[in-house]
Amino acid sequence: MFTLNYEKRRYLIFSTIAIVITFLWIFPIIYMVISSFKEEVQVAIPRLFFKPTIENYQEVISATFFKSLKNSIIVTLGTVLFTTLLAVPASYALVYSKVRSPNGIYFWFVSTTFLPAIAVIMPVFILFQKIRMIDSHIALILLYTGAGVPMMIWLITNFFKEIPSDIVEATKIDGCNRWQTFYLVMLPLVRNGIVSAAFLVFIITWNEFFFAITITYTESTTLAVYMSKYMTQQGYFWGKMSATGTLIVMIPIVLGFSAQKALVRGLTSGSVKG
Amino acid sequence: MGQVIQKKDHSGKLLLPAVVVVALITQIPFLMTIILSLLKWNIKRPDQGISFTGFNNYREIFTDPNFWVVIINTVVILIACLALCTVIAVLLGVLFNRDLFLGYFCRSIIIIPYFVMDCVVGIVWKTLLLNPSLGLNYYISSFFGFSPIDFFGAYSLVTIIILIVWQWTPFFFLIIFAGLQSVPGEVLESAQLEGASGLQTLLQIQVPIIKAHINTAMTLGLINILKVFGLVYVTTQGGPGYRSANLPYLTYRTVFFNWSIGEAAALAVVTVAITLFLTQKFFSATTRH
Repeated sequence: MFTLNYEKRRYLIFSTIAIVITFLWIFPIIYMVISSFKEEVQVAIPRLFFKPTIENYQEVISATFFKSLKNSIIVTLGTVLFTTLLAVPASYALVYSKVRSPNGIYFWFVSTTFLPAIAVIMPVFILFQKIRMIDSHIALILLYTGAGVPMMIWLITNFFKEIPSDIVEATKIDGCNRWQTFYLVMLPLVRNGIVSAAFLVFIITWNEFFFAITITYTESTTLAVYMSKYMTQQGYFWGKMSATGTLIVMIPIVLGFSAQKALVRGLTSGSVKG
Repeated sequence: MGQVIQKKDHSGKLLLPAVVVVALITQIPFLMTIILSLLKWNIKRPDQGISFTGFNNYREIFTDPNFWVVIINTVVILIACLALCTVIAVLLGVLFNRDLFLGYFCRSIIIIPYFVMDCVVGIVWKTLLLNPSLGLNYYISSFFGFSPIDFFGAYSLVTIIILIVWQWTPFFFLIIFAGLQSVPGEVLESAQLEGASGLQTLLQIQVPIIKAHINTAMTLGLINILKVFGLVYVTTQGGPGYRSANLPYLTYRTVFFNWSIGEAAALAVVTVAITLFLTQKFFSATTRH
């Protein structure tokens, strides 16, 4: 009897601690969302009780916001598309083709993700300016694809490796050619991994700031740059800023939920065995 | 694994586009950055022209006292964040690694900061939460009757560290929690039967088993924390003075404020060298048994 109570008490205590910590940890996000529904004066001088208003959202959703939103969507989707088209065949080839030292190539890809953006920005900036590609969607997509491909190869190569070889063997005996084997047998098995990796590339691209601020001026500015314009506001536009922030972070958070599991699996598979 | 298909094999060519694109966008520009670091070149002063100066740019940055301030900042940020993220993530992992009411829900929710744009993070903390003259910081301190802490003045470096820890601990937690879940329940039970305390179980049994996960989290954390830029840009702008600037931010300023390409390139090369050095040191320190 006593032990049952003890167990129950522990369950209650630890659950409470976990819920409190979780709440405190994400409090800044909750506070931002709440503030986005307040009038400006209620944000500057915090008030607990207020009548929610969507005024901030009505004002935020403007032509410049939509332009940045459109740019972010074009750049991010373009990056995800090109990254997937390049990385999936590459990962397949690393596992199933006869290439010299596939491990070496794999680690070369992984090592390029260590490279900070500032290490490449100057030649890229100078080149893009020369060929008048600065402030264009394609310039951003190119840079982000260069960063996304290694990331995706890192995350999905192990999914290809984990396909049981007898399944692949069996399809060969059944007379499938390589493309059929890939399309009919492998793809369904690795699809979840690819989708999650694509989500992660989406999130990282969507949130990226360094390249966005350095190689765009007016035409191709993304939401990250749009958001950064709020950094000098002194308390008059905090409600609108909160509304903008809330709109910007929604998509990555939703995608992030569904990518979590594969993210852990992909990131730990290279170095963690078992 | 690759031996399944034995016929003449051209599918290796599938690698080529990815290799070419990644090389063109990452490796070749980096090699060009190394070359640029040996030049004297200010974009906004075409009259001065471009000339070869050897290691002058390096000499210049190494003799600049601000550079050393920034190096120390970068290392302090890195060490403090790695230590805090790891310890907090392990504690969170232990807390969540049991049956909890709403456990799965909380676990998924607490990851959110990792997916949030760092510009949004920086601005929300800077304005809504920590601004000393309005907002929550002001409200709470005037409620308790003390003067609000100026987080972005004297404590700017600490504030940057807090923000990075807030954003990156969830990432550490994600990986470390996966490790803790892979520790078999019987191992923990038998430790309990032997009379090990919770702390003993953690330090002597769980942590050694999940060492590989901790290493992975710390390595990825190291690489990414060294890259932090947006947070600094939207909150402190490296200030006051250089007190909260890190290497990426200093390099950015050197390119896009001073337009001194050569010097900035030298800074970028130094940043890469430091990244490689630290990653390698970290690898060799953790893989030795």
